[in-house]
Amino acid sequence: MKKPETVKQNRTALIILLIGLVLACVLMCAPLYTFQTSAYTKKSSNTFVGDEKYAQALEEVEEVAQQYREQGFEAQINEAVTERTNSKGEKTSLITFTIDQTFRKTVWSFLGSDLPSGHVLRIMACCMVLAMLCTVFGSIGTMNTEYKFLPGRTRMLRSAAGLFLLADLILTPVFVLMNNYAFWRKTSLYYQDLITDGKEEWFAKMDDFLFGGRMGDNIEAALKNLNADHSALVWVLLFCFLLSIIAAVQFRNGTIKNTMLKRMLYAFVIVVCVITLYPYYVMLITAFRSNAETLDMYFLHMLPTEWIWSNLKDIVSRGVPRYLLNSVMIAGGATVLAMLCGIPAAYAMARMNFKGKKVFLGFVIMSQMFSPVVLLIGISQLMNMLHLNDTILGLIFVNAAFNQAFAVWLLRGTFVSISPEMEQAAKIDGCTTVGSLLRVLLPMAAPGIVTTLIFVFINAWNEYTISTVLISTASNRPITVGITQFSSFNMIEWQYLFAASLLATIPVVILFLAIEKHLTAGLTSGGVKG
Amino acid sequence: MNTVKGKRKWEPYIWLLPSVLLISVFVVFPIIIVFRLSFSEISKAGVVGGFNGFQNYIDAVNLPAFKTVMQNTLWWVLSVVGLSTLLGFIIALVFNQKFAGRKIARSILIFPWATSLVIQASVWNYIIKFEYGNLNNVLLNLGIIKEAINWRSSYQIEFVWECACGIFVTVPFVTFCVLSGLQSIDEALYESATVDGAGFWRKLFSITLPLVKPSLSVSTVLNIIYVFNSFPIVYTMTKGAPANKTDTMITYLYMLSFYDRKKGPAIALSVIGFVILCVCAGVYMLAVMRKEEEQ
Repeated sequence: MKKPETVKQNRTALIILLIGLVLACVLMCAPLYTFQTSAYTKKSSNTFVGDEKYAQALEEVEEVAQQYREQGFEAQINEAVTERTNSKGEKTSLITFTIDQTFRKTVWSFLGSDLPSGHVLRIMACCMVLAMLCTVFGSIGTMNTEYKFLPGRTRMLRSAAGLFLLADLILTPVFVLMNNYAFWRKTSLYYQDLITDGKEEWFAKMDDFLFGGRMGDNIEAALKNLNADHSALVWVLLFCFLLSIIAAVQFRNGTIKNTMLKRMLYAFVIVVCVITLYPYYVMLITAFRSNAETLDMYFLHMLPTEWIWSNLKDIVSRGVPRYLLNSVMIAGGATVLAMLCGIPAAYAMARMNFKGKKVFLGFVIMSQMFSPVVLLIGISQLMNMLHLNDTILGLIFVNAAFNQAFAVWLLRGTFVSISPEMEQAAKIDGCTTVGSLLRVLLPMAAPGIVTTLIFVFINAWNEYTISTVLISTASNRPITVGITQFSSFNMIEWQYLFAASLLATIPVVILFLAIEKHLTAGLTSGGVKG
Repeated sequence: MNTVKGKRKWEPYIWLLPSVLLISVFVVFPIIIVFRLSFSEISKAGVVGGFNGFQNYIDAVNLPAFKTVMQNTLWWVLSVVGLSTLLGFIIALVFNQKFAGRKIARSILIFPWATSLVIQASVWNYIIKFEYGNLNNVLLNLGIIKEAINWRSSYQIEFVWECACGIFVTVPFVTFCVLSGLQSIDEALYESATVDGAGFWRKLFSITLPLVKPSLSVSTVLNIIYVFNSFPIVYTMTKGAPANKTDTMITYLYMLSFYDRKKGPAIALSVIGFVILCVCAGVYMLAVMRKEEEQ
């Protein structure tokens, strides 16, 4: 059965798609970029407007402009007046003459050019032609048909059109960014002699593109004040692609609103992921840079020019393995201790009834509230009393104690969710309470226990503040404190700092990913469900 | 539940003993020490003298930076907790939808949670450097900006960056709390609401929010406490400079006691912070206890 409504929708979408494509074609022929340069600058001596010296300077400039005009440029003379007072107290002016040229470049000039953005544009044009062909062939004789009655090949053609358009959509901003890079960044880097490779060729290329190769030796001066602006049409073009894609996808997925929402959802997810990963990208690339490159004032490269693996070797010789080992000992010890104390307590809370249960619960929750930072001074005093100051053992105790609440909380949630029948059966078979706990409950609660373990381990691993205060001997430092040796007050060795950070982060992230599935469940059973 | 027989009444307490002992010695005892010290005279070298009344508290309140620091702390907690709760909630709503690659996206979101705060703060510290920072590098090389921008031109802006970094590391926790709440909501509720003609906003306010409220409130209270106690971000990025203008209470009391050798006021500040936390903890506990009774 054909539903007239969907047929109509189908037709509308097709028309929108075609309109979008045609509009995009038209836009691509319109001038996309405006360039402005001053090819020649002359400053007059101190004078008054209309004065003899002024006329003389103007004449000189006219002459130069005439030369340019003979070469076929539309040279325009602009004057800028700066007023000043000379030593005798008379007001005079300084007049600056510039020969300016403004010209617009359309897509055709980019298509024929040898610039990187030209290559991008060529791909875009190919995609667009293909998309148009797909749409046209796909719509022959099918304008009035509902999607599911379309012949298989037609569906494929339309999907292909959508994909080609998607490529165009992504490439449009790439095109703009590449142009920005070429006309501002790369050229200015050549000017400052920060990069030298291929300078001549680059300027020749720019000359070819902008001036048809007529500028010759003057190209350096002409590019110095180059101003390149893309017109707003580029963004209209982007919108056309977007519109066409939506229309193309709509063939497949029903209403336009749903399709739009889905696109927006993906866009949102991608933005969130990119922002989240950005610091890790920075950490990774900086860890493998040379010291000079981490402090590069000229922002030359986005990736290390050379991946320096010896940074890893250097941090090994600066004590990082020792710090990692300390961290493993501290976090591991704290985890074991927290579990040894926490499992019995959680068991009692989950399986027994006794007076003061509520009090203990309150006690536990309260202790969860106090991060050690507020109690720093008290803790360091306590450590002095116990002679645990500056020892790994002291850190193990503190970390275990401050994660105790969390461990009891999570474990109790796990134990409560397991029915006590099996243990009772074991007890009837002559098992002691301890036996039933060890042989029956713990194996059954393994996922919850592993989650708790990893949580406590990560908390202890990432702990920083207490360790900075308690540990003063270098060889007892955990990694979080250890990395700060690379950032002393007057010199920060970013590459070592981040190489060590990378080593400290990777294992923890892997551990966290391992319990990702139980993470939400753990949160629910522990903190949330009470 | 086992009913405990008369002669084994003491048994549960033995099970609890290790845990109680650990918490008492390493959490409760320092609290007592801090309280006792806050009423004692302490010399610059840290020698404890006799009873001092409220002198330490008066000194603390009269510190020149006290007002700024308290204001900063308030802004720090409000902005970080508020914005990350809002952002985390929105992200959780989106990440709860079914879409290809959801698993990967969720895994990525865990990264900031799993990373140590010092490391996270160091990276952001590098990113926003004016002279060689990575943000300028990326933006310049992509051609988005023409000249390097000074991202930390004043201390107010630096403080905003610190808050942004705080939000960045807090959002995943909120998101996962809310996700755990969202997953327990029955799909059928939404379906019947759709049948009844409820729109997106209507469903959000009448179904999602009330049912996620418990997870949201727990995460909010925990975040207030974590964010209040957060030390590495401010310490790594500005160390409170210039002149304690970007300090929060925690970094300030650390600086006071370990750099400026003003142990007395520092301890008084600790106690003030402790009391503030107690209030938050009390509210949290009441909420949890009430839930416990409901079950």
